[in-house]
Amino acid sequence: MTATTATTKVPVEQAQLGRVLVIGGCGFLGHHVVNLLLRDWKCDAISVVDIRCQRNRRPASDGVEYVEADITDSEGLVKVFESLRPDVVIHTASPVAQGGGATNELFRKVNIEGTRTVIDVCRRTTVKALVYTSSASVMSDNRSDLINANEDYPVIRGKQQSEYYSETKAHAEQLVLEANRAEPLPDSPSTGLFLTTAIRPSGIFGEGDVQLVKHAIMAYREGKDKVQVGTNENLFDFTYVENVAHAHLLAARALLVTHAAGVTPLDYERVDGEAFIVTNGSPIYFWDMMRGIWHAAGSERGTDHVWLLSRDLGIFLGFLSEVAFSILRKEPTFNRQRIVYSTMTRYYDISKARRRLGYEPLVSLSDGVKKTVEWTLAQEKQAAKS
Amino acid sequence: MAGLKEILYYMFHPNQLRSIVQWKVWHEPVHTRDPSKEAPTLQSCFHFLNLTSRSFAAVIQELNHEMLVPIALFYLVLRGLDTIEDDMTISADKKEPLLRDFYKYMQIDGWTFTESGPNEKDRELLIHFDDVIVELKKLKKNYFDIIEDITIKMGNGMADYALNAEFQEGVLTVPQYEEYCHYVAGLVGEGLTRLFVEGEYANPALLDRMELTESMGQFLQKVNIVRDVHEDFLDKRRFWPKEIWSKYVDRWEDMFDPKYRTQAVHCSSEMILNALKHADQCLFYMAGIKEQSVFNFVAIPQTMAIATLDLVFQNPKIFYSHIKITKGDACHLMMQSTQNLAVVCDVFRRYARRIAKKNDPRDPHFLEISAACGKVRFWKLVVTTLSRIIMLTTLDVQIEQFIETLFPTQDVKKIKAVEAAQKSSENDRNDYFEAIMLIFAVVFVLLIVSGLMIGAAWFMGARFDAAFDKNVASSLKDAAKATITSIDHEEL
Repeated sequence: MTATTATTKVPVEQAQLGRVLVIGGCGFLGHHVVNLLLRDWKCDAISVVDIRCQRNRRPASDGVEYVEADITDSEGLVKVFESLRPDVVIHTASPVAQGGGATNELFRKVNIEGTRTVIDVCRRTTVKALVYTSSASVMSDNRSDLINANEDYPVIRGKQQSEYYSETKAHAEQLVLEANRAEPLPDSPSTGLFLTTAIRPSGIFGEGDVQLVKHAIMAYREGKDKVQVGTNENLFDFTYVENVAHAHLLAARALLVTHAAGVTPLDYERVDGEAFIVTNGSPIYFWDMMRGIWHAAGSERGTDHVWLLSRDLGIFLGFLSEVAFSILRKEPTFNRQRIVYSTMTRYYDISKARRRLGYEPLVSLSDGVKKTVEWTLAQEKQAAKS
Repeated sequence: MAGLKEILYYMFHPNQLRSIVQWKVWHEPVHTRDPSKEAPTLQSCFHFLNLTSRSFAAVIQELNHEMLVPIALFYLVLRGLDTIEDDMTISADKKEPLLRDFYKYMQIDGWTFTESGPNEKDRELLIHFDDVIVELKKLKKNYFDIIEDITIKMGNGMADYALNAEFQEGVLTVPQYEEYCHYVAGLVGEGLTRLFVEGEYANPALLDRMELTESMGQFLQKVNIVRDVHEDFLDKRRFWPKEIWSKYVDRWEDMFDPKYRTQAVHCSSEMILNALKHADQCLFYMAGIKEQSVFNFVAIPQTMAIATLDLVFQNPKIFYSHIKITKGDACHLMMQSTQNLAVVCDVFRRYARRIAKKNDPRDPHFLEISAACGKVRFWKLVVTTLSRIIMLTTLDVQIEQFIETLFPTQDVKKIKAVEAAQKSSENDRNDYFEAIMLIFAVVFVLLIVSGLMIGAAWFMGARFDAAFDKNVASSLKDAAKATITSIDHEEL
């Protein structure tokens, strides 16, 4: 077993990725993909398409080309693709899953229709490879435990899938994987193969994250670190964002290699048309992750003060909160699903990504937490100043 | 006085007593020695074995007959080497050739060593080493060669350390620390694995994955080094690498100063984390053992080690006293280590959870320890990793079957269950329809049966109308009365 705690930078050989386009490249994950491309990879050109390109921009000296475009607008996107001429497209654009105020309609529009358009435009232009950011949540029904789940586990769709976000991600993933090795569309200038793959990260956090770490720090400030729901024997997979970005680029390289080779790889080494679960490879007890974040955010408390709330009581309280908020006609900040998440076991087996992509996390969980909390606190300070 | 203390202790810890009683009463060794058939020299060897090591002697003597003697002798040879290495009354330039040539001496008939210091507790063994040599010569050549090879390697390793002045001050870096553990424990593991494979009691694939064997030794040694830190300090020895402890205190003595207790405990956490990383590989290793007595022999020290790790974790006592797992716990662990890999995995998981529960967010290695505990978690990992070993090396089918029987492929069931749940929405309607049909069938049968019964009763003359019509009922009653009275009359 390799020590995943090592923080040493794995020397990624400067492999050629050609012309790379990152869709959603100003977003949380997307801008880390851009950073990594600049740091670890050799590219002929790096470009970004995003609905708005103000935030998370690289300085002009890095030579990244930013283009504002709507991925649901097919004609507009074709023009952008024709001028950027990408070989590889990394599609990371998606509305924030929770707490972003996104409606189901927006999830459907961006995740399903947007992805459909991206695939379509890829096939109408000279794109060789498409890497899609799916989500490990597509395998979860948000109730049952997932214990060391691998890619053989079924994707949960339809009525079984209680989160509409996951449903749209699963739908989009299916579209992407079905488009693998599809014939170029009639009016396409491309003559070669079009290869696709999907990455399913679990519990992404990192600089730029407005979900996990931010919420955890808020909970700590509000004194919610006193309570622990459940016995804390449930392991959960959290993944530092840079590792997820790294997996995307390894996948992109693998697709390009397959594309160049021209022959279909053997089943057990195939990357195109496949989905890959990506985590930090170190599942952790759910509340330990929270305490790790709280400690990094300045908490000097151990676990003696912790008040243990049973899962059932937690669910009951969550239900009461939902009722109270529905009377107030507001979105509940505390609900049953949160209790379920904090007490369910959900971790994955990433040996497929290790084997076929050569994936190993670059940053350990503990270092990732430190970096993220530092960033979050610095952000707060800046916000307070201005 | 000690007796009274013990009685009081067990009165308040009945579980402990229960474990001891259970072990004494129910434990049946897989094999037992038969001293009556042993040569006097061999008996003498076992006598020394019992003198040198209480904990190991028992498990060794329960080994199967093929492994028993080679492993007992292997242990005595290493003990002999160790006694010379430890002996501070022997000068370095005398010690070095003794250690390096020990493998030669152990082949000279009648060789003994009488110059051990008076305080060496195993000096008796060296004084009567000729008995060991007699028995070594009777060994099968393949076994002897392994013992000889390890003796050469270990003798040289020890001699290097004896000469190394830098090392005399204590270990500096983590790689040095692991190298030291390799010489004192990893090599023993290597010898044992080779003996097991030679006797066909372990899967030969273990030889291709020597890092698993290495982990077995490293884990045991590191746990001991953490636990014995105070004892070693009193003996003016230090095995904790400076690279680690210097992050917490400036001088080694400070570790034992109550003023720096928090730092010392944090430092011990890092040492424990370093040991814990071997735990999952130990489980993989044990899956490669094919015979019960050998399994017990390798499993007992491992479960004791993980239990000890739990005992020393977040425990400041290690810096001022010598702590050990209780006898009751030890017996309980031995019961569980003499069954199968599944039970041993459970023991590991249980202790990993206990360690995780004690983990303190203020500890600098909080998240790493939590993740390391999470890693010692599940059977699936053991199985997948082992199946990978199987893919990489050509193996006999036995290990695969062995794993299959131990771990009925949990995941497949799970997947099926999930898939079944997924399909249940379609099946639900089918189920509903089936249920309705079933109810109809039951009602139908009931109607027919009851119709037949009522019909038959009616044919026999049952008056159902009596149940509904009062007039008919009363007339029937009257008729009954009339018959009864008439009978009465006749009797009178």
